[in-house]
Amino acid sequence: MNVFILYLLLLKATMTSFSGLASLPMVRDDLVVHHRVLTDRQLNTAVVAGRTGPGPNGLYLVSVGYFVDGLPGAIAGLMAVMTPAFLILPLMYWLGRRAETPRVKSAIRAVILSSAGLLLTASLPLARDAITGPLTAVIVAVSAIILSFTKLDSAWLMLGAAAVGLVAKLV
Amino acid sequence: MPPKATLARLTAVFFRIGNTIFGGGDPMMAAFQRELIDRQGWLTQEDYAVAYALARITPGTNVLAFCAAVAWRILGVLGSVAAVIAVTLPSAALAVLFTVGYEAWRKNALVTAAIGGTAAAVAGMMFSTVWLLVRPQLTSILRVSVFFGGAFLATWKFGVTPIPVIAIAAVAGFLWKE
Repeated sequence: MNVFILYLLLLKATMTSFSGLASLPMVRDDLVVHHRVLTDRQLNTAVVAGRTGPGPNGLYLVSVGYFVDGLPGAIAGLMAVMTPAFLILPLMYWLGRRAETPRVKSAIRAVILSSAGLLLTASLPLARDAITGPLTAVIVAVSAIILSFTKLDSAWLMLGAAAVGLVAKLV
Repeated sequence: MPPKATLARLTAVFFRIGNTIFGGGDPMMAAFQRELIDRQGWLTQEDYAVAYALARITPGTNVLAFCAAVAWRILGVLGSVAAVIAVTLPSAALAVLFTVGYEAWRKNALVTAAIGGTAAAVAGMMFSTVWLLVRPQLTSILRVSVFFGGAFLATWKFGVTPIPVIAIAAVAGFLWKE
């Protein structure tokens, strides 16, 4: 895939989402389902790689870009993550506190809810791919509960899950 | 008295916080509040609040928009570009290294087992993200059913692509005021 096309596809995903992982449904739709340049397993690994280190959650797109086109793809992913950030400058200049108007807030909240619906759709095939037995099914459920109801840093959970997988293999 | 903001100092602050805080946007923004307002005195609480609110409605990764906005307030466009690069570039390089590492060791049974565990945790994290996005809006079950349920059904059952779903939600949400 041409690296500029890759950049545009990833940019489309970041420009139509409002948080790091919310771009995932669009990425999956374009790169896994339509263009078939990425697999669900690679997408899952990309999310893991993006979450292992520090920094914003959206950096999983760098890993996605790397899977599709090596280092140029990673740069395309990084550019797609960074580009939308600068849209806030005209907003800061012109909009200021008008962003708090009830209708704009209502539209944003509707978009957030629909993003959650899209994310659920994207999560199901990834979960199907990740659940390979009873142990991984338990990890999915426990992770979902812990991250929903505690403030635990997800990096620790990833580490714990890796340790559980490792110990289960050794035992 | 805290040091005056220069491009080098600003870049150093964003580099340090952006690449040492784990857990994504919210912990990072909390760290920036402490650093930029309380410690450096480069930003007012009011500027922070406006940047925080607008970052929520800027497409893409919220915390990067937030960094662009507060750095712009402090040192203009150059500061904004420097801050976003300082926050993302080192972490992006790490993400590539982790990807290479995971792929290189993928055939090793023990590494595969460890990655299998983290992949399952990621799936759980995604379900929790869904819940965390929906939970604050559970005060209106009707809106949750329409926008969340509608988006899920449209994409899962009928294969509608994400852009029309988001566009329709934005227009409907604007017209159907809470």
